[in-house]
Amino acid sequence: MKTNIKNVFNYTLIKISLIPLNLWIISSLIFILLRIAPGDPIDAILGSGADQEARELLRIRLGLDQSIQIQYIKYLKNLINFNLGDSLSTQEPVIQIIRDALPATIELGLFSILVAIFIGFPLGYMGLKNKNKKYDYISRIIGISSYAIPPFWGAMMMQLIFSVICRVLPIGGRFPIADNPQIITGFLILDSILENDLNAFQGALYHLALPSLTLGFLLSGIFSRSLRLNLEKSYKSAYIDAAICRGINEKNILLNYAFPNSLIPIFTITGFAIASLAGGSLLIEVTFSWPGLALKLQEAILQRDYNLVQGIVIITSIIIILINLFIDIMIAVFDPRIKY
Amino acid sequence: MHKYKYLRRTTSITCTLISILFQYSCAKKFNHSQNITIASSGKIESIDPARANTIKSNQLLYALGDTLYELNNEGELIPKLAKFKPKISKDKLKVFIKLKENILFHDGTPFDSSSMKFTIERFQNIGTLNYILNKKIKSIETPKKDLLIINLNNPSSSIEGLLTSINLTPISPNSYKDHFDKFLNNNFIGTGKYKLKRFTNEIQTLSPNTSYWNNKPKNNGINFIGYDNSSALYGAFISKQVDVLLSNSIEDTLRYKLNLLNQKNYIKESKSEPIEISFVSLRTNKKPLNNIQIRLAIAKSLNRQLIRNKVSYSLRTSASSLIPLILKKDNSVSWPDFDPKESKRIFREQGYCDGNIFNLPLTYRSNVATDKLIAFYWQQSVKAEMKDCFSISINGVESTTIYKNLSEGIYPSVILDWTGAYSDPEAYLLPLLSCNEFNKNYCLKGESVFSGSFWASEKVEKLFKESENLKGIERLNKLLAIEKIASQSLPYIPIWTSSQKAWSQNYISKPIFNGSGIINMGELIKNEN
Repeated sequence: MKTNIKNVFNYTLIKISLIPLNLWIISSLIFILLRIAPGDPIDAILGSGADQEARELLRIRLGLDQSIQIQYIKYLKNLINFNLGDSLSTQEPVIQIIRDALPATIELGLFSILVAIFIGFPLGYMGLKNKNKKYDYISRIIGISSYAIPPFWGAMMMQLIFSVICRVLPIGGRFPIADNPQIITGFLILDSILENDLNAFQGALYHLALPSLTLGFLLSGIFSRSLRLNLEKSYKSAYIDAAICRGINEKNILLNYAFPNSLIPIFTITGFAIASLAGGSLLIEVTFSWPGLALKLQEAILQRDYNLVQGIVIITSIIIILINLFIDIMIAVFDPRIKY
Repeated sequence: MHKYKYLRRTTSITCTLISILFQYSCAKKFNHSQNITIASSGKIESIDPARANTIKSNQLLYALGDTLYELNNEGELIPKLAKFKPKISKDKLKVFIKLKENILFHDGTPFDSSSMKFTIERFQNIGTLNYILNKKIKSIETPKKDLLIINLNNPSSSIEGLLTSINLTPISPNSYKDHFDKFLNNNFIGTGKYKLKRFTNEIQTLSPNTSYWNNKPKNNGINFIGYDNSSALYGAFISKQVDVLLSNSIEDTLRYKLNLLNQKNYIKESKSEPIEISFVSLRTNKKPLNNIQIRLAIAKSLNRQLIRNKVSYSLRTSASSLIPLILKKDNSVSWPDFDPKESKRIFREQGYCDGNIFNLPLTYRSNVATDKLIAFYWQQSVKAEMKDCFSISINGVESTTIYKNLSEGIYPSVILDWTGAYSDPEAYLLPLLSCNEFNKNYCLKGESVFSGSFWASEKVEKLFKESENLKGIERLNKLLAIEKIASQSLPYIPIWTSSQKAWSQNYISKPIFNGSGIINMGELIKNEN
């Protein structure tokens, strides 16, 4: 056990030491790709009506008149100093823009994962318990639907049903228009709890409901399918047979034997799902006007805001790398079969 | 029975949660604010007048600040912070503007000529659109607190129009002293009838300015909210989550639905004078579009009526001119009308038809839904009427890429739109037709290069210069003469003009637009009954 902990520690150190290399590769790639891509931030800012002189002046002011090599060296120097620069279009520090947008994405992501687990796990379990029966088919249909439904269409249907027809949930945004929530951490649910503000809590939860339900439902299929498969595999294991022979009841077998063992692969999947949500919830953020990082990234790409795109990609990469590392460590800690 | 216990429990918990949600939603209305909630598309990245370049930010700045002048619906210049219309010196190089007195900024400091000077110089220094001003203004003098003198480099007849620009909304030097050379994106200290209470990129709250110098707002305040897509905007309005919907970028199918609701008196609709022009830019410096006859044949193949009916459900106005009607008060200049027979005749005359089909590659902005439909309907109309002579191949490219490539001369023809930076015919003609350096009829350097036409005319440049020394109807006639040359040379083909539109719930008074396509939010009244 001690040796394994030492190995995990060494593995973690190696992984952490590789982070700068990973980030250098990612940041260089994004720098090059942005410059190769057609379009120009000057055109995005000034439109097609500005004259040559105005364009050149703005180009000089934004430092885009310098050669690519000089821009790249400056960019790397800034990165080493943890400086992501200023947005080309708003001139605000990129880190500030990310700090404002990231909590919205994390909040949506976490609640969506919770919703996905609440929908996916019972569906997967019910499907397995009623194999090849009505509930199994329902569970499968829901699971497959959640894969198959295009996110934007699903989101628009949810808006249509809950917001336009039933009028029970707001169509978009992050908090009620008339309210002015106190921002402490940027996570509105947490901030309202810290402020002991029930109205703000209700308002934030109310606005979070529809996007997180939609995204949660779309993710639930992954959880129901993987739980069903892994639980089935666990039930076929010898230790379950042994537990049954020992007279342990069905509930205890599920909770203490089958379920924990089937959770390890799901844990990995959850890690991937969270990582993909860091930048992948774009369509949900656009449809629900959710002011998160993915929406910011889309806007930055449209405006060819090089600094902001680079900053968001780097921060997202760091988050993904850290989540993967965390998952690796947790799996090693919880599963003694995993050796490093 | 036992195996259904879990399911029953889950179902009952879900039902309870849903019923709580419904109960909660009944108690808490979507739009329980005393303020009027106005929704429009997109976000406001900045409320700094030096950076404002979207209709939405202009709309907000109009409520928060006052300009020296504004245009009314007849296109007349109306003094706001100025006392009278500007006086121009005999040599036409000085503009004298007498300012109103006893006007306070939101921070309590007085508005005077030095604050106006600060505003103009700051815009010249950092303004995103400062190119509209920089070549014109030489210096600014403030001999008295209520007198501003603008010294011009050359006589400029468009200076009056420029003074209506939202970008020149006066700001308090006291509050902006640390932001002379950088933007203040999330706050605004002006003289307007509203004060900015809260600013996020998505939501802005305005409260009435109780010490406003003119008529105070008739409502308790405004909530301004942005949604990122048309369906959310439409849904929010239909479900009464918002009181007023203000958007030019809402999809035409939804515009049509809103129009029908207005006809049934379920909602109110109002629109501005059409000030946005959509057109096709033709690259005139290369074969085959350097041939004016080919351009004429293409212009005659454009069925504006069909496009207007099919794409905009007849809600936009077909345009056969580059200048919006409100700015020229008549319709004397006209581009060639749709005439497929004549078009075919010209193509045949030029050696096309009968096996030799002329193909026009037409590029449209893939992120603008109407552009795609315009391109598609034009392509199909040509296919139906003149397939033996003329065909169109369409290609969608994202707008930022198009803007970058226009001056490279990559696109033989491209669909674009334009709204003048200030309310003056010149603001529509200069960016499309002027050229600084040219060789015969081809522009080498200048605005027409950036509009993708590469068209130039010595006569047009001369007329532009002459118009700078004229005023009133004489100047307008010069500008119309320029437009007439353009209508004969056809570097562009106008398609339609678009209005700003606003829709309000029946319990809200009808929004009213001014001549610049902006609604006066202070006049909106909420009738709670």
